[in-house]
Amino acid sequence: MVEPFDSSYAPGPKRFDFDINEISYSAQRAQAVSFSNSYYDVQQSLIALKGSPIVTAHSPADLKGYVFGDQIGTTSLSFINTLIQPTQTPKVFNTLNDVAQALATKQIAAFVTDTPTAQYITSSGEIPKSVMVGQFPSTGEHYGLLFSKGDPLVTCVNQTLATLAANGTLTALQKKYLQLYLTVPTIKP
Amino acid sequence: MAESPLDLTRRGPRLLGGGGGQTRAVALSTASTVVVVAVIAALFLLAPGSAQVRHTFFSPPDLWHSLIGDPAKGYYSIGAAIWLNIRMFLVAEVFILVFALVLAIVRQSTGPVMLPLRVVALLYVDVFRGVPTILVIYAVGFGLPALDLNVVSTQGPAVYGVIALVLSYSAYVCEVFRAGINAVPLAQVGAARSVGLTQAQSMRYVILPQAVRTIIPPLLNDFISLQKDTALVSVLGSIEANRAAEIYSATVFNYSSYVVAAVLFLILTIPLAHFTDHLIARDRARRLAGAAP
Repeated sequence: MVEPFDSSYAPGPKRFDFDINEISYSAQRAQAVSFSNSYYDVQQSLIALKGSPIVTAHSPADLKGYVFGDQIGTTSLSFINTLIQPTQTPKVFNTLNDVAQALATKQIAAFVTDTPTAQYITSSGEIPKSVMVGQFPSTGEHYGLLFSKGDPLVTCVNQTLATLAANGTLTALQKKYLQLYLTVPTIKP
Repeated sequence: MAESPLDLTRRGPRLLGGGGGQTRAVALSTASTVVVVAVIAALFLLAPGSAQVRHTFFSPPDLWHSLIGDPAKGYYSIGAAIWLNIRMFLVAEVFILVFALVLAIVRQSTGPVMLPLRVVALLYVDVFRGVPTILVIYAVGFGLPALDLNVVSTQGPAVYGVIALVLSYSAYVCEVFRAGINAVPLAQVGAARSVGLTQAQSMRYVILPQAVRTIIPPLLNDFISLQKDTALVSVLGSIEANRAAEIYSATVFNYSSYVVAAVLFLILTIPLAHFTDHLIARDRARRLAGAAP
């Protein structure tokens, strides 16, 4: 069944056992819900329009001067606020499509999103002339399955994840589908 | 002059409740209020999920943190963000009043030369009253920048938001103005013209002053609604109170921030709402006084 992100952490009984929707773990979030261990470690990437200044000038000091935008409730937005710390308040949109539109119409200079999404957006032509400027170093962010706070199922799912990691299934899947990400240059926030 | 039962409350006919002495009425209303509040409070406090709900919506640290904000932790002050709502509201209100009045006068015009303008004004009101405000905001906020023009396409989200609110609300307020103009008896127009005023002069000095007095309450009503609808501009990326609350909630997974935003909006709208009530009461008193023999 489809569960919107916003209601996945609402109080009360859940309509699902677990929610697997590229939801990133954070300590603050884990006070409200339970997360499984990582099934995928995520890095954040910077997307801009080809030929815009940020493509060439993106030292940590340079980055602070740009107007960023991002989708509400994402760890990418937190990344901008906590690690890039731009001087101008980022613009915050409801959906990634709105962020993409804002970039295409130059309302924002760049946005940050996790590498898998960034790869898809720039390669699918969703934003014409967009480019992945680079990938930021890992912050330890990872995707986990989301459960009701204290759900005993978590232990069970963690065992399965450990098995999948140990027998190489997770690595094999990542190599098969996500090989491209290893080729993106790394930049510093 | 004997007071009729209708005049007793000075607020018009009583719709509910029977007679009885003043003391008994006060006792009854107090008792019924206490019972209703107690039942609601009991339902809230005794529900199985009460502790959970109180933590999620009314946790004091979250209320405080979301009010003051902390950008380094990924969320912004709702208290500061509401200032953007206030500014958008104030600017939009001025433009709406002017634009809506022009629209209303065009729609009320009778000259054959004005026909094309009348048609445009009619279409305008039909379209912008019919399209949900949020769609107008999307269309303006994402459409104008996409045009890639010089000044038009390089404004911030708050500017586009105000433009969209003005477009949408002017259509409503135009109809309020028209209702006010139509409420002025036709004889007034005749009288104005017969003393030698031109059509424009009679509109300016005779019709509009009377029309505006009648429509102040419905106008303020629309402005209360406008104050709340500034929250819709959040879809364009500007950090106003509602968006700041959403960001807090999504960052910390706690909804207390929404309560903060709601309270701030109440603080804005309640005075205006009561001012409206006051104006209605005053106007009513005047009319009753005027009608008395």
